[in-house]
Amino acid sequence: MLSPSQLKHFNNRAAFGNPGLNAQSTTNSVSTILKHGSANKPIHIIEKLERDYESMRPSEAEIKEAFKKNKEDQLILNTAWFNQLIDPSAVLREKMTFFWHDHFACRTRNAFLAQEQINTIRTYAFGKFGDLLMAISKDPGMLQFLNNQQNKKDSPNENFAREVMELFTLGRGKYTEEDIKNAARAFTGWAFNPVTGEFLFRQRQHDFESKTFRGKTGNFSGEDIITMILEDKQTAVFITKKICQFFVGAEIPNATLQELSEQFYKSDYDILQLVTTIYSSDWFYENGFKGNRIKSPVELIAGIQVHTGGNFQNPLNVIFLQKALGQILLQPPNVGGWPTGKEWIDSSSLTFRMSLPSLLLRNTENQFMAKDDGDANDVTNTIAKAGKISFSSDWNTLSKVFLKNSASDTMAAVEDYLLAVPTTDANRKMISVFAGSSQDDPEFLKKVFIGYMSLPEYQLS
Amino acid sequence: MTSRRSFIKKSALATAGTMLLPNFLKAFEMHPGSVLDSGKILVVIQLSGGNDGLNTVIPYRNDLYYSNRPQLAIPKERVLQASDSLGFHPSLVKLNELYDQGYLSIINNVGYPNPDRSHFRSMDIWHTASDSNEYLNTGWIGRYLDSSCRDCQVAHRAIEIDDTLSLALKGESIKGLAMKNPKRLHQILHNEFFQYVTKNNLPGDFDEPTLHYLYKTLAETTSSADYIYDKAKISQSGATYPNHEFAGQLKTVAELINSGIDTKVYYVSLSGFDTHVRQQPVHERLLSIYAESVHAFITDLEKNNRFQDVLVMSFSEFGRRVAQNGSAGTDHGTANNLFIMGKNLKQKGFINETPDLTKLDEGDLIHQVDFRSVYATVLNKWLSVNDPQIIKGKFQLLDFI
Repeated sequence: MLSPSQLKHFNNRAAFGNPGLNAQSTTNSVSTILKHGSANKPIHIIEKLERDYESMRPSEAEIKEAFKKNKEDQLILNTAWFNQLIDPSAVLREKMTFFWHDHFACRTRNAFLAQEQINTIRTYAFGKFGDLLMAISKDPGMLQFLNNQQNKKDSPNENFAREVMELFTLGRGKYTEEDIKNAARAFTGWAFNPVTGEFLFRQRQHDFESKTFRGKTGNFSGEDIITMILEDKQTAVFITKKICQFFVGAEIPNATLQELSEQFYKSDYDILQLVTTIYSSDWFYENGFKGNRIKSPVELIAGIQVHTGGNFQNPLNVIFLQKALGQILLQPPNVGGWPTGKEWIDSSSLTFRMSLPSLLLRNTENQFMAKDDGDANDVTNTIAKAGKISFSSDWNTLSKVFLKNSASDTMAAVEDYLLAVPTTDANRKMISVFAGSSQDDPEFLKKVFIGYMSLPEYQLS
Repeated sequence: MTSRRSFIKKSALATAGTMLLPNFLKAFEMHPGSVLDSGKILVVIQLSGGNDGLNTVIPYRNDLYYSNRPQLAIPKERVLQASDSLGFHPSLVKLNELYDQGYLSIINNVGYPNPDRSHFRSMDIWHTASDSNEYLNTGWIGRYLDSSCRDCQVAHRAIEIDDTLSLALKGESIKGLAMKNPKRLHQILHNEFFQYVTKNNLPGDFDEPTLHYLYKTLAETTSSADYIYDKAKISQSGATYPNHEFAGQLKTVAELINSGIDTKVYYVSLSGFDTHVRQQPVHERLLSIYAESVHAFITDLEKNNRFQDVLVMSFSEFGRRVAQNGSAGTDHGTANNLFIMGKNLKQKGFINETPDLTKLDEGDLIHQVDFRSVYATVLNKWLSVNDPQIIKGKFQLLDFI
């Protein structure tokens, strides 16, 4: 069972913040909470493009039409997922999916393939890592992104094999160049059908000759390589470490890491069991692990929605904000994933982050512009500007929950609710001047919210 | 640093009160002891989208150029012929003038091994100076800041003229400053709320490293915003610039340089070069904006006797394919030309061989000069830093400066 302050920390890390409007019961155990917030809700909003544009030689008008539709689809998919991130019945699975999306970072222009990939990740997000790895290794979007369509018996392409080991499982330096060459040969012929968007094993392109991988020789298939990678405990160590960096946020003692990865390995890579152990540990709730993690842009925006019960009236606004802050769902910068921690903060990103609550909750005029990266086919370049952002919050409900007997009690409740770490007396004084002392002012609560959310402390979870 | 500041703050608090503090600290911040200062300034111009190098610097005697581009090739008689094999696009009249004055070096065939044809990834590689199968989270200018100014308590050693900061300017411990112009930056930071938070919370008050970093970033941004605003308001440029946003960015850079602020690197971008469809009118317009703006900028610097302190480098994430595509445009390519501009260049004009259109890699030019050689040269010979951590790997220094 978790105390209110433990529950807050849990929600900051395992979800996108403490939900004030759908308060959870503190009488529940971690595993019960995990069960209630982890519904699997696949998104089926983008239709399959059932036409093979590679071989049917379409007219220029048809190509144009398909391009246009796919651009719209990319926006639709992004906003559909963004909305679902904070769905209370699924939020824990969505956060985990968001983590794996960063781990198995992939950019595909094809919105249908992107949708299917995230659905696959969502399904296995709390399952066995081995199943997730196998599924993502046969995922058309990933195979396309890492050039495995070009990985053929007579002209191997090592990109996919390299990233599987360097970024997805073992970590840099834990394999040899020979391992990569041989693994790449084992993955030859792993492709997909561009019409159906389904995995395809092209026998004629597969290298059936003998391979030597990590000291063993045999006629290994791609599946064999993945199994052998999972047999190596280093994979359990690498993944456990990455999960801890993301959800715990700070260096954990080596002994704890060893213990967790040992358990992860023995459980046949059971992801749910690993995170349940972490969230059930006393050390996870120690003060040293609270409020020391900088929210990524997606976490910040989704967190504001959770904290205020707010919604974006114009779905393009949420894409603008992702672009302006530098993290667009489904568009990680490269296969290495997004930046982390302090890398998110520079002079301009910090001032924009601190201005964001006013832009959203008071509808102030926005002058900040996202960067146009010059890519004519990147649909987000067309929404690099957003004048006013229309965002609606549920102030009625928030008033019922947070307005207390006195202005100072209200402020204390809001501070505890919004901030992972307490702020300074100076800032409290400023917010009380800014908000005024009369709770009769209908804007009072809003001003208190804006005040706390505009602080540097609000960047932390 | 933290405890020292905290001490200064506490001892000053007892006598002076909080309102005097920021100025006192500012004075302290403006004179960092560890700056390796060569007095030189670098201006980087990024052409986003992949500029078509072959229609920028044109091999007007090469039949292969004309046969690969039946609609897009610039007729020989329209080319601004510079050497006996290469000339400029007709929109580049003003760049041609800089060439005639000896202010321009053109490095042909610049790229990197295993080129990536995705905009995002290739720009990533140019920003981080990584290998094409390596992923770095810091940029080359950012690492320059780390290495030359680790203890500088200022945010403006490198300035990007935009709202958001590019990866190129993000170091491990120091990051550049992004702003549209000094006035707007000043306005943002002088919002009542920001002022109060900055004045009443000093970074030294926070022991937790992440929170300390946030307050430190805020304090340095505010301090830099004030410093830049105060210096720049007395150096409004009277020079004439074309009426375009990119020209406005360069005008801001010129004003900042002429104001004498201690910024080492400026970064500006011009976007729109991704010319897959009906390239000709778009490319023509962009090149003339580019040339006229850069010319106005250099003229402005010369008039203020600062051009000798400034080196301009302009690049794009890749060139385009040699052959035009079916939509009167060009698709993503590989190696490209890169421009260096300065007053006292050691090698002027075309400093290496022209692109070889007979030896292509699946229709793309093969690079001969690694872009990291250019970076290393600029860092070593212009900014006078020599740190293997900035550009990893051994790259031959060039002789243009």
